[in-house]
Amino acid sequence: MTDLSLVTPDLAIDDRDRASAVPRPRDGWRARLTPLLAYGGFEVGRLVRSWKFLAITVGFPVTFYLLFLGDRPAGQVVDGAVTWRVYLMVAMCSFGALVAALMAGGTRLSMERASGWARQLRITPIPAWSYVCTKVTASMLVVLPVIILVEVVGAGFGGVQLPAATWVGLTVLLWATSLPFAVLGVFIGFVVATEAAFPVVTGLMFVLGYFGGLFNPVDRMPGALQSIAHVMPSYHHDALGLAALDGQTLSLSHWLVLAGYVAVLGVAIAWKHRVEEARGLA
Amino acid sequence: MRGRPVSLSFQGVTHCYGSRIALDGLDLRVPQGEVLALLGPNGAGKSTTISVLLGLVRPQRGRVEVLGSDPRRAVADGRVGAMLQSGSGIGLPPGVRVDQALRLVRKLYKRPLPLAQIVERADIGALMRRRTDRLSGGQAQRVRFAIAIAGDPEVVFLDEPTSAMDVESRQGFWRMMRDFGNEGRTVLFATHHLAEADEIADRVVVLNHGKVVADGPGATLKAAVATRRLRFVTDEPNRLVLGELDGVTELAVCGTGVSIDSLDADATIRDLVARGVPFRDLEVTGAGLEQAFVALTGCGEARARSAAAPRAADAVLGVARD
Repeated sequence: MTDLSLVTPDLAIDDRDRASAVPRPRDGWRARLTPLLAYGGFEVGRLVRSWKFLAITVGFPVTFYLLFLGDRPAGQVVDGAVTWRVYLMVAMCSFGALVAALMAGGTRLSMERASGWARQLRITPIPAWSYVCTKVTASMLVVLPVIILVEVVGAGFGGVQLPAATWVGLTVLLWATSLPFAVLGVFIGFVVATEAAFPVVTGLMFVLGYFGGLFNPVDRMPGALQSIAHVMPSYHHDALGLAALDGQTLSLSHWLVLAGYVAVLGVAIAWKHRVEEARGLA
Repeated sequence: MRGRPVSLSFQGVTHCYGSRIALDGLDLRVPQGEVLALLGPNGAGKSTTISVLLGLVRPQRGRVEVLGSDPRRAVADGRVGAMLQSGSGIGLPPGVRVDQALRLVRKLYKRPLPLAQIVERADIGALMRRRTDRLSGGQAQRVRFAIAIAGDPEVVFLDEPTSAMDVESRQGFWRMMRDFGNEGRTVLFATHHLAEADEIADRVVVLNHGKVVADGPGATLKAAVATRRLRFVTDEPNRLVLGELDGVTELAVCGTGVSIDSLDADATIRDLVARGVPFRDLEVTGAGLEQAFVALTGCGEARARSAAAPRAADAVLGVARD
């Protein structure tokens, strides 16, 4: 998470400033944590209360799972030893995570920044980096129930049966590797203007879903499309989940691509922040 | 005012956005407990001044202190509150109720004001259960004021706080702010309404092109702004006679054209008639804030600038006079 941090050397107070500052009691970790938790809770609450957000994030992956399930015999082997019902469940978990993260960041964040609220928060005592970190964390927190819901539908309607430990492992893996989606959502909120944010989010949802092989297995795609798939974070997210079920080793390349997305987008957010600050817009 | 600790200080602060200079060697000291109005046309540097005081902008040159420390330290310590210009938005979190936003902001500060006190001071009791995106402009400004004071700040900055308000809510708002300032808090607000600056502030600082061009009590500025400019044509442009007319502060004669700055246009005209000076094409206009700066500060620099930016200043005065 450190690469997301917006702390700049500028934030450090030099000695002259400290010498002239009024002495104040040192804060304990509890006093520092309380505002951050309050803000985190506020953000998650806002997300959960937004019925449009919930309808889209929950509706898309679950509906798609139920729609696509009938496309083929559920027991047909599609990828390695993975059957259609299992492939589709993991793919829709990836898609659900993607949709939830982009919807949580994206348009909402862009609107919020345009409204001046983000600026108002910056002049409260919570540190600048906590704004971005809270947004990413809030996105991650709403991704988890979406993944679990798709799994429940997969088990209930798709007839997916897995050992308990595998269910837990799969959930944790898919959840943790959703971080690039959460950062991508926040990135869009930072760089895309409000009017453009919704089309961009919707477009990305389907580009990442289709080219990431979430609607159709990648190895059934033509060669050119396959090479596109390999640069999609959604492909690597999905591939890690499938590999875990297939009993394969979790290839390092998947992790590296996902970590690369987090790093590059994180740096881009920090850069955008610096630019705005220099222009007096932040 | 002297002897009180300095709350805000600028020393030679300069900042440019690209090639546009926003602050040009600004020097300013504000003692604790003062209510200060920053007055000036758009682009004078008012918003940049506030951004610098909040640590949102790091000036390229010069030194800024808020409550004896770096602006960001003062903000991080929760000693500062502000109402910024929100542009197109309302500056409030969308999709939540007013009370939820307010409760959150209180939790971000170590020693916030009691909720009941904030509600009373900002007069938002009736708005608490409303959603932030369903407030009128004036109501939203009251909520934003509540958020600005929630942390019980020692210093409050308000950037054109009444711009979205009608006359009635404007008066109510200033009463609230005045009460808040009367408790030893330092208040700095930016406005381009001269009347507001004059009525509310202990001290009015006029900014133009990022510099202080006038600095004094509101009443002085107002008197200076009462200056009117008389222009007329006369066949007897006698400097001695014209210069002695009642109320004249400045006289310029160019051929048969005369331009007079007067503190009392009515008296000047009566005197003109009484002395039998023939005149035609008489025109009386507000002398403009730039002339007011000259009268107030007596500084030649403002005079030089008046040629450069008379339009902006007249616009300011136009707002002030209505």
